[in-house]
Amino acid sequence: MSTTLIDGLKERISTSISMYESVGLVLPGTNYTDLVQALFGCIKEHPQDAWIYITVTRPFESFVKMFGDLSRYPNVTFIDCISRASGIARNDEQCIYVESPTMLENVTMELNSIFAKIPEGSSKYVVLDSISTLMIYNEPSLVTEFFYQLLNKTRAEGIHTISLTVEEGETDKYINKLIYLNDKIIKVRDTFI
Amino acid sequence: MVVGEKCETGIKEIDVQMNGGIPVGSTVLVAGSSGSGKTTLCMQFLMHGARKGEKSVFFTITEPLFKLLGNLEKFEFFDKSLVDNGTVTIIDLRIIFERMGLDTEDYTVEDASALLDVLKDIAKELNAKRLVIDSVTALCYRLKSDEMIRDFIFKLGTFLAAMECTTFLTSEIPPRKFKYSKNDIEEFISDGILLLGDIERGGDLIRTLQIVKMRGVNHSRTKYAMNISSRGVELAPLLKMR
Repeated sequence: MSTTLIDGLKERISTSISMYESVGLVLPGTNYTDLVQALFGCIKEHPQDAWIYITVTRPFESFVKMFGDLSRYPNVTFIDCISRASGIARNDEQCIYVESPTMLENVTMELNSIFAKIPEGSSKYVVLDSISTLMIYNEPSLVTEFFYQLLNKTRAEGIHTISLTVEEGETDKYINKLIYLNDKIIKVRDTFI
Repeated sequence: MVVGEKCETGIKEIDVQMNGGIPVGSTVLVAGSSGSGKTTLCMQFLMHGARKGEKSVFFTITEPLFKLLGNLEKFEFFDKSLVDNGTVTIIDLRIIFERMGLDTEDYTVEDASALLDVLKDIAKELNAKRLVIDSVTALCYRLKSDEMIRDFIFKLGTFLAAMECTTFLTSEIPPRKFKYSKNDIEEFISDGILLLGDIERGGDLIRTLQIVKMRGVNHSRTKYAMNISSRGVELAPLLKMR
């Protein structure tokens, strides 16, 4: 892990989300961990903001292993779409478990419920990790509709979104279409700094 | 139905779809197969009214009281104090059947009439503004002709509408069958139909809810995805497979 890379990513994400409502991050699989570190750096730097981290890629447990005690990040709530489907049964205060990554509407319902509890005036952010993993479990047309709904709803309510796409070889044509719905796209390359 | 006045269900998407809620005094059939969320939805509807001070009655035929209360306690919307203080009254209809000597399989017209009078008396005495019968299928099981079923529901609905009491009747239907009731009668007498179902997606069953009919309201008939969590029934627009 390169601290320079993580710091550079953190800075770019912080600048982009302060300027744009929806930011798409496209990255090679090898940089996934760096990006997550950078995102958590952003979350830690803004403790007054409310963050929701939708994970389809890794179970919540993996974030606990990566960052230790997540109560140090009290401003982030996870929606874990993968643990239950993988047979992992835990209960955590900071995490809501959705039965399956195919239950996209349940993700919407959980988002609504969490945001309803956040006091007015807080800046709100949603991280979707990731569009490419959602495509593994769902029909591309469903993911497209879900992403449209997510962006429309968050834009209407002044919530910022950061959506991740892990680039593996030639990026799927559906994913390409979705990425460009964002206001800003950051393509992470090893050489981008 | 009371023209113009609406009865909020407490389920946001339903209330938004119907411009504020179900017309007051309507009789609504809540149709769904076993485990589809009929009882939860109905109790959420009663509790929402009770929080605003509306008296409510829940008649159960399918579940003993202790089991019903035990299942409801896990929901955030359920407030036992509203049951304890009498704002929500839960009655096991089977006990009434026994006390009235109506524990036979087949009801005569007189039996049905006597039962109808009891239900009306209870609703009137409690000044109920919301009422649930869970389930109308189990109730109608003992009414052996279509005419008796039609007459029973029509008279009950008319009486409750005059009291400005909004009524939910749960209807047990087989899974994934295009039916709203066992007898194919109840839906024609009811003012509204809420259909609870499910669709399969990638091996998972997604719960759905659809407002099939609601007299006096322009509403969409689109399917919603439904979830039952500790918060109760929640809805979100159903993503469409193409």
